[in-house]
Amino acid sequence: MRTFECSDLQEALRSREPELLDALDVHAASCPRCREQHALWTAISDAAPSLRKEWETPRLWPHIRQALVREESSPRRLWSFRSASGGRSWVPAAAAAALFVVAAAGLWVFQAGSGGREPLVAGAWRYQDALMTEQALDDVQRRETDYLQSIERLSRLVEPRLRQAETPLVASYREKLLLLDGAITEIRTEIERNQYNTHLRRELLAMYDEKQRTLQDLMKEAQS
Amino acid sequence: MAIGNAAAGLRRENLLPISLTAKEISLAETDTGPPTAEEELVEGCRTGNIEAFERLYEAHGPRMKSIAMNLLGNAADAEDAVQEAFLKIYRAARGFRGQSAFTTWVYRVLVNTCYDLMRRGRRRPEMVASDAVELPPARGADHPLRLSLEQCLGRLRPRHRSVFLLFEVEGFSHREIGEILDVPEGTSKTLLFTAKRELQGMLWTGGAAARLSAS
Repeated sequence: MRTFECSDLQEALRSREPELLDALDVHAASCPRCREQHALWTAISDAAPSLRKEWETPRLWPHIRQALVREESSPRRLWSFRSASGGRSWVPAAAAAALFVVAAAGLWVFQAGSGGREPLVAGAWRYQDALMTEQALDDVQRRETDYLQSIERLSRLVEPRLRQAETPLVASYREKLLLLDGAITEIRTEIERNQYNTHLRRELLAMYDEKQRTLQDLMKEAQS
Repeated sequence: MAIGNAAAGLRRENLLPISLTAKEISLAETDTGPPTAEEELVEGCRTGNIEAFERLYEAHGPRMKSIAMNLLGNAADAEDAVQEAFLKIYRAARGFRGQSAFTTWVYRVLVNTCYDLMRRGRRRPEMVASDAVELPPARGADHPLRLSLEQCLGRLRPRHRSVFLLFEVEGFSHREIGEILDVPEGTSKTLLFTAKRELQGMLWTGGAAARLSAS
């Protein structure tokens, strides 16, 4: 059997190697400190199941059921940009679209530089149209700013209701707004890297639209 | 094991193992035999059937509440987290394609929901349950270390706390924890060891070893 030092204790507990644990047992018989440390280690696992919490919640399922039914009957099912498990499902789609635009633009450039032949892809010119000019970009950004300001005004109106009400429906709206804000921030970051990407602009617009509708729904809900 | 046994008790062997793997789901889809209760549950949830969600709640609700309670520190927040998790599951179940076991995914949604609530800042993870609400004593509640352990647990980092809770308290395997927390199985083992070492250090400093010897 190998010689066991006090410094081997953590390794024995980490690896749980039988040989090391046997050596620990022998060592612990003559070392009170290691004996107590080992006992405490074991006691933590023994005590852990007592931390399981059980309590009656007769109203919880009815509340959940009510929320699910409301969700089911909602004319516009709440949609998420992120999967419930935390992923961002729109990112691959946005990345694929961006990649497609870049590839198409690259193909067009390659074609233009190789003797002015007809593009291999008949529609390649369309992608030139899809990429915005400076002038169009200025126009889009100006309108986007106006639109954003109007939504922010609406947000400020709704904010007190969001803070006051604690119903499951309001909590659901609050969660959706958080998701939307997160997604908007991420798309805006993407747009900063590629301001001329019309697809991302459309995605952003769709999210602002959704945020506006959600805020309006929430206002209606609060008034009813 | 029947789904209804999930809340059967404290002892690890009585807890429902989240045993339906992606491979098993895939196999189940091609199997010509009658669907199992769990397959029906998954399919029911995917189609938005409220009754299926009720069965899911009956089977996993108690365990979900316990996890949320230990992560968030009080019963009201735990119940909010479970409700919010169910809503998220309802919205996203349609897209569930069996990449992982359905029940593992359910717990993953729950744990992420608890993390979201903690990030929103309204929750106080350091707050122990006994301060917040009068709960009936858990089985084994007379363990001399329970209270000290509960207090020390609140001082662990969230990921370490989660692994400790899922493994030692709720009886999940490291493979399942890996799926729930989206970490490799080996990382789950390392996190558990670190969590226990930190708990051991805190309890040692607090004189728990001496009290343990005395008892």
